[in-house]
Amino acid sequence: MSNDSILKTFLVAFLLCVVCSILVCLAAIVRIDKEAYNKQLEIRKTVLAAGGYQQQIDDGGSVDELFTSNMELKLVDLATGDYTTAVDAATYDQKEAVDNPELSEQIPADLDLAGIGTRAKYAAIYLDKSGTVILPIRGAGMWGPMYGYISVDADGTTVKGFTFYQHAETPGLGAEVDNPNWKKQWPDKQIYNSSGKLALKVVKKGKYNSSAADAVNTIDGIAGSTVTGNKVHGIIRYWFGEHGFAPYLAKLKAERG
Amino acid sequence: MAKAKDALLDPLFNNNPIALQILGICSALAVTNKLSTALTMTVAVVLVTACSNAAISAIRNHIPNSIRIIVQMTIIATLVIIIDQMLKAYLYEMSKALSVYVGLIITNCIVMGRAEAYAMKNPVGLSFLDGVGNGLGYGIVLLTVGFVRELFGSGKLFGVTILNTVNDGGWYVTNGLMLLAPSAFFLIGFIIWGLRTWKPELQE
Repeated sequence: MSNDSILKTFLVAFLLCVVCSILVCLAAIVRIDKEAYNKQLEIRKTVLAAGGYQQQIDDGGSVDELFTSNMELKLVDLATGDYTTAVDAATYDQKEAVDNPELSEQIPADLDLAGIGTRAKYAAIYLDKSGTVILPIRGAGMWGPMYGYISVDADGTTVKGFTFYQHAETPGLGAEVDNPNWKKQWPDKQIYNSSGKLALKVVKKGKYNSSAADAVNTIDGIAGSTVTGNKVHGIIRYWFGEHGFAPYLAKLKAERG
Repeated sequence: MAKAKDALLDPLFNNNPIALQILGICSALAVTNKLSTALTMTVAVVLVTACSNAAISAIRNHIPNSIRIIVQMTIIATLVIIIDQMLKAYLYEMSKALSVYVGLIITNCIVMGRAEAYAMKNPVGLSFLDGVGNGLGYGIVLLTVGFVRELFGSGKLFGVTILNTVNDGGWYVTNGLMLLAPSAFFLIGFIIWGLRTWKPELQE
């Protein structure tokens, strides 16, 4: 059979397609299984890191073990600040809910300090055995969305830890939000001041004064990353404001603090 | 033997795909801010060029001329998808760091170029070696650029601190340009200059 005959052309094309699609299918089957686990593991690592377990992970602790023995998943209705079982927590995906009109709501433009437009009605939070709560936060960064977790003590105002797990900030500048040396100033900061007003803020690098009265509410920015600092500031102000976790944290404080 | 040696070693310096043919620049800019990503990309490209060259060479006498390019493309795309899926399954964080650039190996002119220029005319063994050689030629430039960018951009090599940076309380002020893609343009330029000074016969 000549190579350039029509029959041979179709035959080669057909066989090639069959062989290639079988190979691609096999690869996809392996990947689908593993990827779901990898994504879960990433979330668990971040939650544990924000909850103050980074040291134990670095020391070789099993992420899955630490997570299952310490963390409990709960859904919070952000509008009321109450726990909710309106949807199944185990299958709820907060990132997907944002695109679902039934599970999300528009943020009024004047309140949208994080630059996100809409937010899910329910937040998937984690309760640590110690009483710490680990809250998901997100917002617009300089180049793309930033996703992270921040953990707050049972008193509803003391920050315990903070970490982003996804962002696209400039390497070496804004991406220093991942630097442990920067993140270590977050624990023990107070989100609300003594009169209960939202006070936590990120200031420009060098404007931080450790002897000022509001030092306990102030995070020093990152050198060369004023924009990223401002974005993180906006994220904090939105998520701890009345439209974010403030109602929930107030109830948490009344209940346990 | 001499032919096999040429197929493997020629693309390293004498006919380097990046430095001489100026192919594959896009990914060379994108994945070289760390050595670990540059190394993973190198391994991926070596595997793809070697296997696609071997596969295309094996069926070269049966490929109808009219659908030649499509056949090559399908084989290359299949290999790239498999590698991308495996990275997602077993090296999840690495695949996140490489993002779209693994998928873009499909469009890397080095792979197509070798399939069309070499694998269609040569036996399987030689084609495989030619693929390995060209992948490595690409990799040498990637790793050199990655070495300089990670060392001077973050003070690290493979994530291990070499120069203690100011941000970590050390003394080294990092070079921010090195972390951004344009620095790879300068570095590749210097590599091309160096290579052509060392081997004047490469000058056009």
